[in-house]
Amino acid sequence: MTTLSKPMKKFSPLAQAAMDYYQSQAKQLMQAEGEGHAVTAFRQAALNRFLEQGFPTRKDEDWQFTPLSNFLKTHYAFNGVSRIDEAAIAAVKPKVDGWHLVFVDGYFSEILSDDLAGMPSGVSLESGKDALDFEQGFRVFADHETDIEQDAFGMLNAMLFDDGLFIELAAHVRLAKPIVVSYVQTLASHANTTRCKIKLGRGAQLQLIEQYVAIDAGCGFENSVCEIDLAEQAKMSQVIWQNLPEQGMFFNNQFIDLAEQAQFNTHYIGLGSAISRHQNHVQMAGERIESEQNSICFARNQQIMDTRTYTGHSVEWGASRQLHKLVLADQAIGVFNGMIKVDQKAQKTDGMMDNKNLLLSNKAQMNAKPQLEIYADDVKCSHGSASGQISADQIFYLQARGLTKQQARQLVTLAFLMEPLESVADHAVRDWLQQALSAAVTPYLN
Amino acid sequence: MFLNIENLHAQVEDKTILKGINLRVNPGEVHAIMGPNGSGKSTLSSVLAGREDYEVNAGEIRFLDHDLLEMDADERAQQGVFLAFQYPVEIPGVSNKLFMHTALNAKRAAEGLPALDMFDFEQLALEKMKRLEMSPIMLERSVNVGFSGGEKKRNDIFQMAMLEPKLCIMDETDSGLDIDALRIVANGVNALRSNERSFIVVTHYQRLLDHIKPDFVHVLYDGKIIKSGGFELAQELEERGYDHLIQAYEKV
Repeated sequence: MTTLSKPMKKFSPLAQAAMDYYQSQAKQLMQAEGEGHAVTAFRQAALNRFLEQGFPTRKDEDWQFTPLSNFLKTHYAFNGVSRIDEAAIAAVKPKVDGWHLVFVDGYFSEILSDDLAGMPSGVSLESGKDALDFEQGFRVFADHETDIEQDAFGMLNAMLFDDGLFIELAAHVRLAKPIVVSYVQTLASHANTTRCKIKLGRGAQLQLIEQYVAIDAGCGFENSVCEIDLAEQAKMSQVIWQNLPEQGMFFNNQFIDLAEQAQFNTHYIGLGSAISRHQNHVQMAGERIESEQNSICFARNQQIMDTRTYTGHSVEWGASRQLHKLVLADQAIGVFNGMIKVDQKAQKTDGMMDNKNLLLSNKAQMNAKPQLEIYADDVKCSHGSASGQISADQIFYLQARGLTKQQARQLVTLAFLMEPLESVADHAVRDWLQQALSAAVTPYLN
Repeated sequence: MFLNIENLHAQVEDKTILKGINLRVNPGEVHAIMGPNGSGKSTLSSVLAGREDYEVNAGEIRFLDHDLLEMDADERAQQGVFLAFQYPVEIPGVSNKLFMHTALNAKRAAEGLPALDMFDFEQLALEKMKRLEMSPIMLERSVNVGFSGGEKKRNDIFQMAMLEPKLCIMDETDSGLDIDALRIVANGVNALRSNERSFIVVTHYQRLLDHIKPDFVHVLYDGKIIKSGGFELAQELEERGYDHLIQAYEKV
């Protein structure tokens, strides 16, 4: 009898060392959770897959422009004592009226979060940590496990997530104020691994704001996975603000399921991190769904910013809109990869995906790949990508009215970046984003 | 001395376009520059406003006490030079309000005046817009984006009214305007005429000049002013064209 076994994949010493390290961390976590816990088998399966596949390299098409060597060099710690400076944390919270929740170094902090006693009935809110205490608690976060674990960071997340957030709105529940979640890093080289699940019942409405920021020495590895599930006619708008320090690592992977007539709108704003990769996977599996995915990235020095979307239309009359804008300065690298897939049954699909990039330096590099895959014959779909420099005519026009060249460049660049914010419906949130974006970016425009 | 252009030579890339312009403008005067296509009219406007694509290789421009050629476009604007564009530029995402508020305060800062707050600015802007028969909505819209040709030109005149420049250069402002828009633009210009403010009006046609009535008319050809006169010169050109002047010039 012969046994057939797959040839072992070869890993670089750097990758192998990182894999060994994350394996040891996962084993420690499983040990702490106790033998026989249902989550152990789940984590072990992810670990086995991870050890087999390892980290992607530049030979993997999806990682061609997003080299991980700088990430692999640091082994991010899973222990550490957070320095909780209440005033500093309060100061970085978005200036938005809402239900504020705070995570510090990857863990939910009840003390720093708002008292949720006043929330209307029909809202369930639980930390991932509490959910994990239940025997099968992890399962609420794992509806898309096969897709999640397509990716080394998804596997790492499964092996190591130890907290997160579960939000459920019962049918027709509407929150008057947004839920505002701040993920605050206070430690250097620390790994923050979270999973979230957002579930909206029929006709429920939620506005969710998430921000990833740091105080003190905070600068680590953020690895989050989020599942979002909207029932019929549910409506959700989401803003993700990522402004981690320039050495940070940010990986966020979202899986969004939309049912008939649901409306989903998301904005990702990426400003920080050495490597950042934000991905949406949207499945539009019902009639007359509307989805909108927008992103704004500003990268400078040697930052690498990678934005990806997958939008699947599987039923008739779906409409999807996308606008992704990147501004690249210095030697920054931008990546946009978008796919709209229209199944044969999804007639009358209206899909639009637009990517526009502004290069402020001739050493910056943009890699864009907008894609359409259409199997239906009666659809309206478009995709486009354009990269360019600031127009000299625009600068001269503004200068001829008395603005300095620097003012003119700032005005034009900010206007370019702000465009996707026009579809943020809540005025207070939009004002906050405009001001925060202007304040964050202006110092680097000259 | 208000504005004195002496022996101005300018080129773009390797092509010499202005070949010795001499022009003196006193406060309150309106000068029209006419001439066939390619004579250098727009180049003269651009050089005066400080566009960087043009290289001045000889000559001098004195404006008030300044050596104009030593100043960047924004400094010239802050000192009171205004160019109304042949093709006003679209700037998506920048509202007219933000643009003009920033521009006006840049000029006020240069003059040592305090900045206008948004409230005072808006009041002033709406007043000026009313005179130009512009809808207040235009203030909220992105600069020139989706504007018709006439709206763009009117928007430029609005900016001129806001910034109250000392020297207004109008580069074929009349091109692409219908009769009503032309009247509104001309009225806007006439409302700004004063003893201290001078105009250089570059145009192909007499129709704008009928409304504005320049004090002097100059004919530009092959980078030089080949003839100067009063308003009657514009009327003569309308009747007889440029050819007879060009032939007379080339014989010499």
